[in-house]
Amino acid sequence: MYATKSEYDRGVNTFSPEGRLFQVEYAIEAIKLGSTALGIKTSEGVILAVEKRVSSTLLESSSIEKIMEIDSHIGASMSGLIADARTMIEHGRVEAQNHRFNYDEPMKVEACTQALCDLALRFGEDRKKGEREEQMSRPFGVALLVAGVDETGPLLYHTDPSGTFVAFEAKAIGAASEGAQQTLIEKYTKSMTLSEAETLAVSVLKQVMEEQLTATNIEVASAEVATGKFTIYGKEKVESIIARV
Amino acid sequence: MQTVEPVLACAPLPNVKEQGRFSPYTNNGGTVIAVAGKDFCVIAGDTRMSEGYSITSRNVSKVIQLTSKCVLASSGMQADIATLHKLLLIRLEQYKHQNGREMSTTSIAQLLGNTLYGKRFFPYYTFNVLGGVDDKGVGCAYSYDAVGSFERTPYSSSGTGQQLVQPLLDNQVAKKHQPNVLKVDVSAKEVEEFVRDAMTSAGERDIYTGDHVEVKTVTANGVVHQRFDLKFD
Repeated sequence: MYATKSEYDRGVNTFSPEGRLFQVEYAIEAIKLGSTALGIKTSEGVILAVEKRVSSTLLESSSIEKIMEIDSHIGASMSGLIADARTMIEHGRVEAQNHRFNYDEPMKVEACTQALCDLALRFGEDRKKGEREEQMSRPFGVALLVAGVDETGPLLYHTDPSGTFVAFEAKAIGAASEGAQQTLIEKYTKSMTLSEAETLAVSVLKQVMEEQLTATNIEVASAEVATGKFTIYGKEKVESIIARV
Repeated sequence: MQTVEPVLACAPLPNVKEQGRFSPYTNNGGTVIAVAGKDFCVIAGDTRMSEGYSITSRNVSKVIQLTSKCVLASSGMQADIATLHKLLLIRLEQYKHQNGREMSTTSIAQLLGNTLYGKRFFPYYTFNVLGGVDDKGVGCAYSYDAVGSFERTPYSSSGTGQQLVQPLLDNQVAKKHQPNVLKVDVSAKEVEEFVRDAMTSAGERDIYTGDHVEVKTVTANGVVHQRFDLKFD
């Protein structure tokens, strides 16, 4: 009969008899330990907002980076193992710049997300001869919300450790994702303005965060259609959104 | 008369200078032209292929449609042209799968530049003119050197008939040296006829240009192909 689960959750590229890859499933579980991150898409652009866990009063919260720019028109927020996300973001940045070099145009958001996910599935692969990159020992324990604008308009994608990516109108990931997603389902409308999306994003964070929400323990960013740019908001801008909530 | 001495396995090599050197390049001739209009571009090339004073073929195409909005015409060495065209078609197909749309003409211009520069130290022996309409629907032409320097220009020509054709283009398209003549928008039909005349003129004096001319007209709606006879001698 079926062997016990524990025999199949060691190797990263061994299917269980039920057809599951336990290491990938555990990696997806790892995201549920991460701080909450959410994204909202409107016709004017996409808003990303994340919670930063400031574990000590002596910690400099500005050193926690959970929203990163990939190219001038694409950025991503993350939840889970942030160190893993840095590897993915770096890969995305290289791909985006290569695209500009090769084709003299910005990379499409979907193509960039695909490039990020290509890397996510490299675990368990043998290192090819002469390849510079280190072999990966495990799946990435991180989920990304990729936000950007291109000629098709504003876009929001969710990627997970299995290398799957799906487009969303609004999506929450991390520890409080269930509650946050429920609120997004209730409050989201297609006709929202960017400013309304900012307010909704921060109010959802306020609702799910254990600590008191301040301008230093959240990060907000937008990819705007009008400018075609991805911008991580400064402290003043975040404060002004908090004041509206 | 030189006598050939038998070469022993251990004998020194005969004088290297007297040996035939590996010569990888040959120019198979031909003329290509691209003229951009307000919302169109006309690209033309003859179909003659030569080797020295011999005509090796009267019907080899130099002009290739890359996308619905972009056409490339190349003169130089036929084998390199064929390889370059095949490579570009593959790169365009891969791009379409990765990005979900056809590559824009401006991107193809950059890609061709990079592809040529990628062989900076053993170049493709090709002289390219690229034409089409850009994302805004504006006609555009690009001219290249063999190693990928490129420039967007209103009109361009390359190949063995370039010396004959370029002054004609300068005078009739750019209205150079005609201080009292104003530049007016011309129709695709007029440009097609002008380009055909230019190729006929090149065929009159350049022995490497002749047989037929292929004329492709690119607009936002697609590419129209025409073919005419040139001098056959």
